Amino acid sequence: MHSLGRAALAAMMIVGAGTAKAQITTVVASPPRKTEPAQQAAAQQRERVVQDSVARVAMTGMKEWVDSASAALAIRPDTVPTAADTALGTPRTATAPAPKSDSASTRTAERSSEFRDGARAPDTATPIPTIGLAGALLILIGVAMKRRERTARVRARR
Amino acid sequence: MRRVTLHPLNGRRAASTALIVCGALLLIGSATSVARGAIARDAARARWVEIEAERAVAGARVSTGGARWSEARGTPVARVTVPRLGLDEVVVEGVGDEELRAGPGHMIGSALPGDSGTSVISAHRDRHFHALGGIALGDTVVTESASGTVVWTVSRIRVVPADDSALEARTTPTLMLTTCWPIRYVGPAPDRLIVEAMPTR
Repeated sequence: MHSLGRAALAAMMIVGAGTAKAQITTVVASPPRKTEPAQQAAAQQRERVVQDSVARVAMTGMKEWVDSASAALAIRPDTVPTAADTALGTPRTATAPAPKSDSASTRTAERSSEFRDGARAPDTATPIPTIGLAGALLILIGVAMKRRERTARVRARR
Repeated sequence: MRRVTLHPLNGRRAASTALIVCGALLLIGSATSVARGAIARDAARARWVEIEAERAVAGARVSTGGARWSEARGTPVARVTVPRLGLDEVVVEGVGDEELRAGPGHMIGSALPGDSGTSVISAHRDRHFHALGGIALGDTVVTESASGTVVWTVSRIRVVPADDSALEARTTPTLMLTTCWPIRYVGPAPDRLIVEAMPTR
């Protein structure tokens, strides 16, 4: 009987693992924190400083930047330079690589969305067979436990 | 006063009943998913027949080109067959969960089979591409799409890790069929099977 109980516990843990994994993923996301206006201003200032430094690094390849900027303007003839356009702002749209993000949603989208050179094969994994198998296993264990319980009940009556 | 005591056998009975109920719920859930997939597959096939008929009518009216095919997610965009394996599936646009439930999915952004470039078609290993496990070099694959009917020859078969950047953009027409690997595996398969084919004619 103990072995059956252990098997049932193990089966429940296996079945629950997948679900628990998904729940943990959703639970981990922290709620947005309320920040004071002064803290927000400081954070924006820090972000601005980081952006400037990134843009400065991107400008090291001047030849590529000029080529790509001219190509970008050729593609979009409606783009008219304005006073707001600065040397630091333009290359971000022209040559800067797509910003990398480690968020779960970005990774999911990257995993199975649109085709590009060097893309991963779409995520075709499905938990359905495993879920079905786990369900059948639980039923078998439950039926076996019921049989043993009936046998034990008959013995107890005697 | 009557004292009620819980017999150990009653606890076991409750536990076994709970296990059976949980198992039945899991089985019903997976069976429902499979049934929904079968319904979606039938709907995709019926829609494919309609699209072919519309194309035929439009082709009769206009000598150049046919009806414009929709590229909305879930819309049938092609048909892929592997005669030796008996594989015959209607391909829908997109590789999301809903699309892959209905049939093999055409990866958005890749070329349609027959167009210049890489065309990527993916499906679940336990459903539409189960037969793909038996594919061999030199096998014939036939595709039908807005670009016409193309006969392909399997030129390369490889197994790569799931997170491998294995899909290459090419300028020449290339067909890539992908699914999970190993085909028979309990749990999320760790690898991907990629079958590459080149046009025969």
